[in-house]
Amino acid sequence: MTRNWRFSSVAALAVGVFMHPFMAEAGEAPALAEAVAAGNLPPLEERLPAQPEVVTGLESIGSYGGKLRRMLGGSNDHNSILRIISPQGLTRWKADFSGVVPNVAESWETNEDGSEFTFKLREGMKWSDGEPFTADDILFFVNDLLNNEEFYPNAPARFVVAGEPMQAEKVDDHTITLKFAAPYGTFLTELATPLAQEPVLWAKHYCQQFHPAYNDNVQAMVDETEAVEDWPALYRLKCGEVEAPNRWSNPERPTLDPWVVTGEGYSAGSTQVVMERNPYFWQVDEEGNQLPYIDTLEMGVAQDNEALVLEAIAGNIDFQRRKISNPANKPVFAENAEKGGFEILDMINSNSNSMAIHFNHTHKNPQMRELIRNKDVRVALSLGIDREEIIDIVYQGQGEPYQIGPRPSHVLYNEQLGRQHTEYDPDRANELLDAAGYAEKDDEGYRLFPDGSRIVFNAQYTGVEQPDWGDSLEIIKEQWEEIGIELNSSSVERSIYYSRGEANEHDFMVWGAPGGLDPTLSPRDVLAVHPQASWFGIPWTRWYLSGGSEGEEPTESMKKRLALYDSFKQEADQEKALDIFRQIHQEAADEMEIIGISLAPNLVGVVNKDLKNAPRSLPSSWMYPDPGPTLPQTWYWPES
Amino acid sequence: MIWRYILKRILWMVPFLFGVSIVAFLLIQAPPGDYLTTYIAKLGESNEVMDQASIQNLRERFGLDQPLYVQYFKWVSRLMVGDFGMSFEWRQPVSDLVWGRMGLTLCLSMATLLFTWAVAFPIGVYSAVRKYSFGDYLATTIGFIGLATPNFLLALILMYIGVVHFGADVGGLFSNEYKNAPWSMAKVWDLAKHLWLPVVVLGTSATASLIRIMRANLLDELNKPYVDTARAKGLSEFWLIMKYPVRVALNPFVSTIGWVLPNLVSGAVVTAIVLSLPTAGPLMLQALLAQDMYLAGAFVLMLSSLTVIGMLLSDILLVLLDPRVKYD
Repeated sequence: MTRNWRFSSVAALAVGVFMHPFMAEAGEAPALAEAVAAGNLPPLEERLPAQPEVVTGLESIGSYGGKLRRMLGGSNDHNSILRIISPQGLTRWKADFSGVVPNVAESWETNEDGSEFTFKLREGMKWSDGEPFTADDILFFVNDLLNNEEFYPNAPARFVVAGEPMQAEKVDDHTITLKFAAPYGTFLTELATPLAQEPVLWAKHYCQQFHPAYNDNVQAMVDETEAVEDWPALYRLKCGEVEAPNRWSNPERPTLDPWVVTGEGYSAGSTQVVMERNPYFWQVDEEGNQLPYIDTLEMGVAQDNEALVLEAIAGNIDFQRRKISNPANKPVFAENAEKGGFEILDMINSNSNSMAIHFNHTHKNPQMRELIRNKDVRVALSLGIDREEIIDIVYQGQGEPYQIGPRPSHVLYNEQLGRQHTEYDPDRANELLDAAGYAEKDDEGYRLFPDGSRIVFNAQYTGVEQPDWGDSLEIIKEQWEEIGIELNSSSVERSIYYSRGEANEHDFMVWGAPGGLDPTLSPRDVLAVHPQASWFGIPWTRWYLSGGSEGEEPTESMKKRLALYDSFKQEADQEKALDIFRQIHQEAADEMEIIGISLAPNLVGVVNKDLKNAPRSLPSSWMYPDPGPTLPQTWYWPES
Repeated sequence: MIWRYILKRILWMVPFLFGVSIVAFLLIQAPPGDYLTTYIAKLGESNEVMDQASIQNLRERFGLDQPLYVQYFKWVSRLMVGDFGMSFEWRQPVSDLVWGRMGLTLCLSMATLLFTWAVAFPIGVYSAVRKYSFGDYLATTIGFIGLATPNFLLALILMYIGVVHFGADVGGLFSNEYKNAPWSMAKVWDLAKHLWLPVVVLGTSATASLIRIMRANLLDELNKPYVDTARAKGLSEFWLIMKYPVRVALNPFVSTIGWVLPNLVSGAVVTAIVLSLPTAGPLMLQALLAQDMYLAGAFVLMLSSLTVIGMLLSDILLVLLDPRVKYD
């Protein structure tokens, strides 16, 4: 196959060079032009939509050819593929993560209260197998899957508002209205997140063969397919799921992606995943040349992250930060950059803090709960930490003392939320604790509860994934001795960590703090909304998610914030929505439920120095699935 | 007589594997939580919220809401017809995932076994016959280093040297162009070019220990009266040693065959991960970590079957080799 590939690319290059003067007109990859000439592919005008989306590369108009090499982690690294292909949803992030723009949809209109969204699709747009993409494909998702109880016994939350799943109404072949039971102001933003691609993930003409409403013989197919018990399982095996490796394991499944998977695709046995350009891709550059420029994505598979670092420094990776983004790798990359022919990517961390301490405000023990709920105590505990020392020792000096909340560069930055009480002041901390009624100490100098027992915090962290948290906690343990507080930290296996947290059996938990660049998408540190991460008040989260029937009623401040959050989700006006979040952040700053240590340092990656149109600095986040929104389909190799 | 013995052994495998399947199932279930716990944790790590409804959907889809014995029964009854079930993590049928991996694992085990024997046998014989000679000391020293160095460390060092000093492409069993190619002579040759590194890495410690065992066993035999007798009858020294004492000393070579297969799947996991080998070990480890019960269960069962088959093989070889072994 490679020999063929080499041959055709050499041939393609030759054709490309000789035909260059005519290229501006032809506007397609040389290999595709050959296929058209040979009659194996319809001409470009018939493959592109009537009005293809015109996108602009970062630097210049590109040229066709070559391959882009990346590496996947050995097990279940399917999201690495998703990130480079980019989720082709109805909307997508702007390259700078500042908002959303139309993507698969050409444009949209919203009704007055923000509960109905009418999307205009591109006329003549095609799936990767050449079949038309129309409103029927979206209708198929909404009517036959989303609202089908066999497929989704409960619809995914992002498509449910006020207890009712999304409904669809087809206006014409290229216009469709999506309706909700109540206003859903964040819907367009939600559609740009990686897992919200479902409305345009499945091609009806292909996937309907696995659906009993369209194929009477589905049961026979189910019976003859190994390990499959019912039609939804068969459907998911063949048509893929939005977040599962099998999405990339069936080359027959049509997609809207710039590159489509070939051969075996990605499975547990893969040692390499190869993707080839989609001849029907629907975006062009300013001169009308069909994208992508690069022919092939070649993704090797390596089990071990250190092996990935080796591949990177050997110059075998063209663009990547996943699995090698640890800031500790920076010196290794710097040392080998010249020899490996790459530059170091500067990935702006979307996280707020390297390590947040979630005091459990809903502690089962009333004495502990009273202690934790006293804001002066929390301020004292924060003042009792020498963050500079931790940053120097544990984080190699990368970072600055910080609490939580949006990063200083973000439009929602709240100085109080980020920087209050981050100075080291043990004297003031001792005063505060004395004044709070915990002045009594035992023989060893530790403060006592009113009943005479010692104040001890038992902290849990997942040491295997994050050894730095353990190191930091050891230092905090010594620093807190100065203010008479005992700390015992223990590393636990991750599922134990989660089960203890969910059972509300912790004094405090440690985790990284999201919400630095994505505060409205990951608000779980200022709002009790995440049942597996808002560790400062898991019962509050249950109360919120169950509409008040389970869990425990939150504090007034949290209830106010949760109400604001509900109105935020309905607010369609971007400016008003941001203002609502400013109030939430101010409320959280005044309350200071959790504290942080250090502003999360930027992550690193590698980029081949010859790769054009690829950014050298970009946000790094899951919600902004880097580098997808920077449009890898516009990247290219200069002709040499 | 030997056929009856083999048949009996094969029949015993059925209840044995049945027992193994129960133990395997219980072991995989032993850690707290289930696959969904790890899945949710993974999503949570990337700041994705998994809503309760979807969790419940998945739990029902994977059958994790049912009691243990129901889950076990479902698994075993499917196994009877050769259906290993669906991998939770990969969302693909388990049998699609394991066979390719097992094939390469077998290939690698055999190559390593041959390498180990080819190196250990002559050196072992030599250092026994030439006890306390310079060659013996040299072999012993190298052997101890081989035993003492962890495989994965050796792998890392060799890889680092390969990449940094020779610009070699290391890791994996194939070059990029052959990874997805169908089997051909060129691909086999490519495999051979890559195979030596893992074979050396995986084989060193086994080689070292076999040298020691061979040497010790042979030393025991060399002083026995039958050797003197043979020598007195005028047999040439080379044939004398090869024909009798070596044959007896071979016993440990043969009796370890049974462990080679499971050992390469389980024991060499770290090395396989470091070297990105597409063998069974890393996949099984990940399946266990993720509590991907059907995938892990399939591996554990296959491993057990391989052990049983391996032990049977070595027992048969032992009978053929050593007339003192009885099978009653």
